[in-house]
Amino acid sequence: MEIIKNPNFDFIGKAKYFVALSIALILAGAAWIATGHLRYGVEFSGGTQLILHFQTTPDTDKIRDAVTRVSPGAVIQTYGDVKNNKVLVRISQEASESDLDGPARALRQALADGYGQNAILESSSEIVGPIVGAELRQKAILLTVLGLLFQLIYIAARFKGGIWGVGATVAALHDVLIALGVLTFFNFEITLNVIAALLTLVGYSVNDTIVIFDRARENLAHRRKDSMAKILNDSLNQTLTRTIISNGTTFLAVLGLFLFGGEVLRGFGLAMVVGIIVGTYSTLFIAVPLVNWWYVRQEKAGAPAKAKV
Amino acid sequence: MPPALQNPITLWLLLTAALAGLVYAFMRPELRWRAIGYGSFLLMCAVAIWPPYDRNGVPGRIHLGLDLRGGIHLVLQVVVEDALNATVDDAVTTARDQASRKGIQVASVQRTSPTAFSVEGIEPARVKDMRDLARDFFRTGWEVRDAGEGKLQVQMTDLYQRQVKEQTVQEAIRTLERRVNALGVAEPVIAATGSRGDQILVQLPGVTDVDQAKRVIKTTAQLSLRLVETSAATQETLLQGVGGKVPDNMEMVSGPGDTPGQPTYYLLRKEAMITGRDLKSARVGVDENNRPQINFALNATAADKFSRETGRNIGRQLAILLDGTVYSAPVIQSKLGADNRITGRFTTQEADELSKILKAGALPATLKYLQELTVGASLGRDSIRDGVRASIAAMAFISIFMLVYYRLSGLNAIVALAGNLLIVLAAMAYTNATLTLPGIAGIILTVGVGVDTNVLVFERIREELRNGKTVRAAVENGFERVWITILDTHATALIAAAFLFQFGTGPIKGFAVTLVIGLVSNVFASYFVSKFIFEWVLGKSHVESLSI
Repeated sequence: MEIIKNPNFDFIGKAKYFVALSIALILAGAAWIATGHLRYGVEFSGGTQLILHFQTTPDTDKIRDAVTRVSPGAVIQTYGDVKNNKVLVRISQEASESDLDGPARALRQALADGYGQNAILESSSEIVGPIVGAELRQKAILLTVLGLLFQLIYIAARFKGGIWGVGATVAALHDVLIALGVLTFFNFEITLNVIAALLTLVGYSVNDTIVIFDRARENLAHRRKDSMAKILNDSLNQTLTRTIISNGTTFLAVLGLFLFGGEVLRGFGLAMVVGIIVGTYSTLFIAVPLVNWWYVRQEKAGAPAKAKV
Repeated sequence: MPPALQNPITLWLLLTAALAGLVYAFMRPELRWRAIGYGSFLLMCAVAIWPPYDRNGVPGRIHLGLDLRGGIHLVLQVVVEDALNATVDDAVTTARDQASRKGIQVASVQRTSPTAFSVEGIEPARVKDMRDLARDFFRTGWEVRDAGEGKLQVQMTDLYQRQVKEQTVQEAIRTLERRVNALGVAEPVIAATGSRGDQILVQLPGVTDVDQAKRVIKTTAQLSLRLVETSAATQETLLQGVGGKVPDNMEMVSGPGDTPGQPTYYLLRKEAMITGRDLKSARVGVDENNRPQINFALNATAADKFSRETGRNIGRQLAILLDGTVYSAPVIQSKLGADNRITGRFTTQEADELSKILKAGALPATLKYLQELTVGASLGRDSIRDGVRASIAAMAFISIFMLVYYRLSGLNAIVALAGNLLIVLAAMAYTNATLTLPGIAGIILTVGVGVDTNVLVFERIREELRNGKTVRAAVENGFERVWITILDTHATALIAAAFLFQFGTGPIKGFAVTLVIGLVSNVFASYFVSKFIFEWVLGKSHVESLSI
């Protein structure tokens, strides 16, 4: 069985349309985030999040009545499957460092007073002070940038040309930005797990690009007469089946996570699902055309084009 | 199982011997060494993870993280400034005592910052004596500077400050360890963390009584006994007595008064007569009226000081201060010694908890709570179920796809996938790494990426076959040509995983651990084992076609 017999698509030639599409998508995502739609998880924003396990099916309206008395503006939603009798309560008011679980205690007390007929069997909580949240936000951005930078250096060294590193890195950054935009658009919270997914995505996206770069390097060694554009386009076509199958299987794996991983892994799953689709696209239409664009420009400037590969 | 086989090494050696026998009987000579090597390694992995979860009272080899077992995760910050303040306060007392012993008149000795103090108004004739005295007493760890006009400034050196800070964090960790041990938690984690090293991570897996555990850990008991200057029912009357302002060497503290609900305010000396560090032991007892009390004993040096000070202050009140509250303020009736008691209005349970806290040692500095995570047992069970379900779904999707698309060669990929999974779990069991829910996600992802190696090889083999190569040459070329690609892709993925590891906090670290182990084991399972299987199946004779 084969998906495509002898594929021969003109990826390089059509790239400009896709680059325009990508820029539009990223700008749309950035605009959406800039207008205040980005929601941080409790570990980044600070605050209190409780998951309460009730004895019988909880009535969210009654819970809201009881909770808003002590913490107005609390977020209350059913957690996971309805038959689990679990409810998530999120309060944004800052927990002070001397009495971190004060708001959580007040909330549980308010529930016992106002909704005592349904006992709380178990309560899980995540309480994050303001210092930790701010530190973690900085750390997440720093680590993503450093991760990209080091991969750029590695690829540039392996392919003896900075542009290969830049191409793979730009594509990976592109994937992260679009995945972030999609998550925000669907109102998912940016949690630690999502950041982990985005960092994994950086690795995965670069990984995907490298396979094609490797093929281009191999072809360059054999076919010195062909133009760079032809060699790159042929490399894309030669590895196209592998690109589709490999990303397809990984897609199936993360789809399993997204569908069956429960509440905790849902954001992680979605980030990966989106990331793998976008990652495949960016390898074909962003990374390789970028490398081509660079060499064409060099050629026009009269410099030796594919001198050192 | 016979007892001899319960030793994992014996079991592994026996299984390897059996494998070697089979290989010798049935396999071609050029494959034998690899077959035994790979097989023995996989057998070792299987032995290492057995039993994977708690079974018949034997603890499981895979350690589940807090998010799967339930428990408490706390991040605390040690307020190291407290310890610096206390160190400077000690030095202030020493300087004052030494000056009066030598008969040098000074106007005041005061702390000027958390790391410095000054001696002011030294009688002009003795300035040099005082300076020599200070330089002698504060030779190591301090810098004595003559500021002129009968004033000396004494500053802690940076090195000494760092030492005090480190020591404080270590003391706090030891104290927390003692408290946690009193709780009887299995496999607790108590370690310094954070970029400045002044944070402490406390993890108590499997704790069920969350509230009690938090109470014992959180109570930052800083015991001190201090002389009471005056006391009054309201803050206003107290302040009136001292001219409307709390003097510099005093502070105002409240505590429960004689009538319940009516606090009493005390004006206390800032300098403590006794602190928690001077405590030798503490336990619960009962008083004459059969009410609970806490008996405590002091170490020898503290006992000397205590007996001297109480002898000098008979008839005055001595406040027992615990965490900023006056528990009681009895009048000193006589000179006291090493063994003493605290009475107050507490229940037996409170007294028991208090004595435990005192015995565990008062903390050298206040702790701030930065983060608190509690996971209930049922939430953990939900997560395990979700994780297992997602894993099974992912593997099933991939396996079916590989079989349909690559037919019998797909089976090869599935064997590699299973081997990969086995190695990841064994490595986790062997290194005592904890499996978290994101860790399960990491394993699923590893499996997805692992299949990529197989796909790369298989596609290349197909390509070679299309170009008219023989089956054997196609397989050989396929593996050979993708090797460099596999190295590059795994190296970049390792770089990304290494940065994830830097997050350093619980669940995400677990994710990074599985990712790193998975990447390495993948090269073994999906490349070397898979290659071996091809060579074994293709055999020595000429092969016309390959199921791929």
